[in-house]
Amino acid sequence: MFYKITCLILWTLIGFAANPGVAADPQGEGAWQQALPGWTYRFPEDHAVHPEFKTEWWYFTGNVQDDQGRPFGYELTFFRQGVLSPDTEAELGKGTQNMGRFAQRDFKFAHFALSDLNNGKFYFTQKTNRGAFGEAGFGGNYSAVANGNASSAGQPLAWIEDWSLVPQADGAWHIVAEVGGDVPMSIDLRVLPLKGPVIEGVDGVSQKAAGSGNASHYYSFTRLQTTGTLALGKSAPQRNVHGESWFDHEWASNQLGPDQVGWDWFCFQFDDGTEMMLYAMRRKDGSVDPVSSGTWIEANGHSEHLRKEEFQLKTLRRWKSDRTGANYPVEWQVSVPSQQLSFSLKGRSDDQELALPLISYWEGAIAAEGKRAGRTVKGVGYMELTGYAAALPGLQNGERTAETGRGGGGR
Amino acid sequence: MTSQFPRLFVWHVARYARRHPLLAGLNVLSVALGVSVYLAIQIANHSANQSFAASIDLVAGKANLEVRSPGGGFDETLLPKVAGAPGVKAATPLVEGYATLPKFPGEYLQVLGVDIYTNLPFATFAVGGQSAADWKDLNLESWLGDPQALAIAEEFARLHGLKIGDPLVLQVNGHEQTMIVRFLIRLTDTAAGRGNSRVAALDIGWAQRLLGSNGKISSVQIILDQPREAVAMAAVLAKLVPADVTIAAPGQRSGQVERMLASFELNLGALSLISLLVGMFLIYNTITASVVRRRQETGILRAMGATRLEVQSLFLAEALLFGVFGVLIGIVGGTLLARFLLGREIAKVISTLYLLVSVDRFSLTPLLVGSAFFFGLGSVLVAAWLPAREGARADPVAALSLGLGTTSEKSRLHSGRWLMGGLLALAAALGCSVAALTSGPAFLGFGSAFFVLLGFAFTAPAATSAGAVAVTRAMRFMERRLERVGGAKAGAGSRSPWSAGLTLMSLASQNLGRSLHRNAVVVAALMAAIAMTVGISVMIHAFRRTVEVWIDRAIVADIFMTPSANETLGNGAFFPPEILQALRNEPGIKAVDTVREIGVNIRGDRVSMAVVEGEDRDRLAFVGGDAARKQSEFHRPEHVLVSEPFAHRYKVKEGDKLPIPTPDGVTSFTVSGVYYDYARDAGVVAITRQNFVRRWHDERVMSAAIYLREPGNVDAMAEEIRQRFNTHGEFLIFSNQAIRTRVFEIFGQTFRITGVLRGIAVVVAVIGIFLTLTTLVSERSREIGVLRAIGASAGQVQGIILVESAMIGLLASGLGVVGGLALSLVLTFVINKAFFGWTIQLSFPWETVLLTPVWIVLASVVAGWLPAISAKRTPIASAVRAE
Repeated sequence: MFYKITCLILWTLIGFAANPGVAADPQGEGAWQQALPGWTYRFPEDHAVHPEFKTEWWYFTGNVQDDQGRPFGYELTFFRQGVLSPDTEAELGKGTQNMGRFAQRDFKFAHFALSDLNNGKFYFTQKTNRGAFGEAGFGGNYSAVANGNASSAGQPLAWIEDWSLVPQADGAWHIVAEVGGDVPMSIDLRVLPLKGPVIEGVDGVSQKAAGSGNASHYYSFTRLQTTGTLALGKSAPQRNVHGESWFDHEWASNQLGPDQVGWDWFCFQFDDGTEMMLYAMRRKDGSVDPVSSGTWIEANGHSEHLRKEEFQLKTLRRWKSDRTGANYPVEWQVSVPSQQLSFSLKGRSDDQELALPLISYWEGAIAAEGKRAGRTVKGVGYMELTGYAAALPGLQNGERTAETGRGGGGR
Repeated sequence: MTSQFPRLFVWHVARYARRHPLLAGLNVLSVALGVSVYLAIQIANHSANQSFAASIDLVAGKANLEVRSPGGGFDETLLPKVAGAPGVKAATPLVEGYATLPKFPGEYLQVLGVDIYTNLPFATFAVGGQSAADWKDLNLESWLGDPQALAIAEEFARLHGLKIGDPLVLQVNGHEQTMIVRFLIRLTDTAAGRGNSRVAALDIGWAQRLLGSNGKISSVQIILDQPREAVAMAAVLAKLVPADVTIAAPGQRSGQVERMLASFELNLGALSLISLLVGMFLIYNTITASVVRRRQETGILRAMGATRLEVQSLFLAEALLFGVFGVLIGIVGGTLLARFLLGREIAKVISTLYLLVSVDRFSLTPLLVGSAFFFGLGSVLVAAWLPAREGARADPVAALSLGLGTTSEKSRLHSGRWLMGGLLALAAALGCSVAALTSGPAFLGFGSAFFVLLGFAFTAPAATSAGAVAVTRAMRFMERRLERVGGAKAGAGSRSPWSAGLTLMSLASQNLGRSLHRNAVVVAALMAAIAMTVGISVMIHAFRRTVEVWIDRAIVADIFMTPSANETLGNGAFFPPEILQALRNEPGIKAVDTVREIGVNIRGDRVSMAVVEGEDRDRLAFVGGDAARKQSEFHRPEHVLVSEPFAHRYKVKEGDKLPIPTPDGVTSFTVSGVYYDYARDAGVVAITRQNFVRRWHDERVMSAAIYLREPGNVDAMAEEIRQRFNTHGEFLIFSNQAIRTRVFEIFGQTFRITGVLRGIAVVVAVIGIFLTLTTLVSERSREIGVLRAIGASAGQVQGIILVESAMIGLLASGLGVVGGLALSLVLTFVINKAFFGWTIQLSFPWETVLLTPVWIVLASVVAGWLPAISAKRTPIASAVRAE
């Protein structure tokens, strides 16, 4: 997927709070490896963690239904934000007694959300753990899998306590998340790629802002067959669900430009076997950044890069959040002339806003309907809208908002 | 009459105060002084306890249970075991330590390693950027990822002019580390905020590295699902951790500290009460003066129908009114005294001898104010009761008749009874001493001291009377001799100036005897102050001598070396092992002994354990002797020595088994001997390093004692060590001589407060002389008028008063010295033994003791000067009008 909220969270948590005079990052940017053109993807090795980059995430979203046809949307994402720069780490002496188990190399967190699409209810939660005793981390020995050593599959690729992402020997992934509380919810899903990985962007990089290195390495599995169980609500039964998911894996060290305020991101799985991903970087002045782009994926898995000029996005309707006051565009008109494609999309429910401490964004299931080359196409997918609510109400003030707009540069 | 009482009272007090402002002022002042000293000590004690409680609140303010090891730290892998136990709702680990700041000498920071992932439910403070408003303002990347990022308390930053981004050099375990001030801490919990500005925080991961405690954490704070079941849960969780790790409610720690400081604070409290006691003598005096001066007035009142009770109430109310003013002034004075003089001294002594505490704020609680009123007004009431009753009992007819007073004869008759009372009080002192030393409780020792003072005070009337009679007789005898000699020479009728002087002395001593009830009181007051001075001086002297002898045995190495943080922080910093090794490899060095201090949990108390290695072991002196055998037993596995105060406190004797929790489980150690030690009143358990490492698996040491091959070379070698290892002042390096000096500096510091109290008591007593003589002069104005009328010169009158005051001083210092010596026996052999278990070899500072009468007499003469001048100026005509 996209820079997603990681960037925003870290803007807020890390970049913006700091006093500009001091924020002079103790870890020089050069210490982190930059996402530069010419990257060669290797699978399955690239599914695993890339610790030399600062930011990384594994992002699952999907539209599923139970045996009675009741529809649900889900999101489960594992984030990694490197906090200890390679320079500092080298200075301390890697793996020596200088770093105890509590010392953090990465900040690890995960988001889990369920959309109950029949009644428009939305549930979300965040999990984080230091992982001093192995409660959270990243791993996965893919060379072993590639060599046919099935036993090393089954080791999680990312996990925080009992939320985990575990690769299977057959190329599928097993994703699990569970929370208790007032509204307990859980998923336990097996997602199997139906097409090969799609490399997003051009020449191995997905550009996010003008300038070398302001990009990410980014690939997707655009259609994953999804089966498993889902439970939602107190003493609610586990229901069998099936459907289709989308997976993004993205890693980078800095991506955003100083004049960018947020983005709108979409993925679509059409009923004719094609898929599409689009993103638009919004700038302060309201314009869309020229680096915005997308990818068109044929039914046979062949993909095509879409430049900004090759698609149009138009807002049709907005929904205002009572929680944050953010005014999200939840209905759009989309056209991609090169594919003779024109359709409208809308959130399958309006309120799919994750209002989390420090960061709020809209991430939810969508449905699309329109025409492609004269024929009706329908589809489902996911939409992500960021930068509409800078922060939760208690945190909103002019200074911080101003910082939000400015501080993202170079991070 | 009763309805007139308020008006009468106003008239009674206001007129008196207006006519005798000095006396009224002194009356208020004597209460104020007593209350000030009492309150200052109470405030300082209270503040020290509070600031320690606050430091517990800072880390454990919201926890139901706390996992902690008295030894300082425990294996971090215990955290998931405890945190994951059923019934534990939230748990957070903490790494705690102290660092000194080379750029700010004498300053230190309590360093907290915090886990922000789990700390929020426990947080008593917020960390942020510029504003430190709350955790949401935290730059997470810097906090987690920058090993140098440090948060310091806003107040500390303001105090030292530190800003965000400033470097701050910390010294930990003899190493310097440069940190950067990246965040400010705001204490959000008011309880934790009291007196806690020396706080720094950083991420737990980097705190372990900074404090050199990798693999260890200092505590786990726990919130339970069912906080009410804390006791039961503590027992359940205790099964998950090794024996030397305790699980208890955080409040229990402040209880431990309060127990540890109890004796120290009780001692100070008792001393402060003595100043109230001396104040009582003064109040007695001034109220008596007021009663005497207004005999006519009371006679009129009684004649007009006022009852005795009303008259007594009038005087008591007057005393109370002055008392209220005195208490109010005393509250202000006590607060100031605590803030500027006693408070910091007390905090310093506690830090040196017991545990690190910094008292930044002196708080006056309603309870303290209440107790100041209670003790202040209570002492006023007690002291004023007798004179007020005397005033009320005065026969209206006699009171209204003019002429000399008649109370003196009565009091002479009573002096025998007082003497009996004195003997009884001394017997009570003896009884208290025996009880304090055998059955306890220890505070009976103070009872003993009190009865000694009381006993000698009660002998004052008899002594004064006897002194007056003796001097009068001596004068008469000498007069007769002179007359005989003079008569032979110059014939009858002519009188030599010698003879006139003798007559003067004789008159003065008769005066002394006649105003016995008042003079005896001032003699008693002065006696009490002197006895206290002498008693405390003797005790300190004896203590010092004992410590000197002990130090001669205990301190024999040539050079002592310790991380300098140990000076500021008490024993908390460790000696870098590589430097220890380098020292041992040095050709000029014969041997290096080491010592380390660690806390162990014994019967619910945190007790110091000294881990010793090397020559030190052969120099202990044992209770009951037989050192060689006890020494060799000490080296056997599972053996320890205990210090005399420890043996006393925990009723342990040689050969007993002492169970001590170790990381390997509770081990029963055999006490191979009790040794003399004057370092810690709470007691010490000593163990050899070998035996310690066997059970605790911890090789670290804190200080080194170095023996040179050529002991003549101390200065050169010390300098060499300094140049090689001490480039940044990481170490304190003492020569043998220097450490002795340092020990006595600490000794002096410990007793400085006692000295202040002693001084105040003497000042109060001298004021007493002044007060008494002023009263006497005005009371005797008619008598003085008669003297002048029959030809006594003004100078002679002045002389009489001065002689009288000198005699008061002399009598009081005679009694005071004897009483003081008796008191010193109580302080040395009863109070020290009963409270601390110290054996002190008695020795007397004869010079100080014998000089006391000299300066007391001088002070008395000075105090008598003003009254003497006023006597000289007594107008003859008006004074003799009534005759």
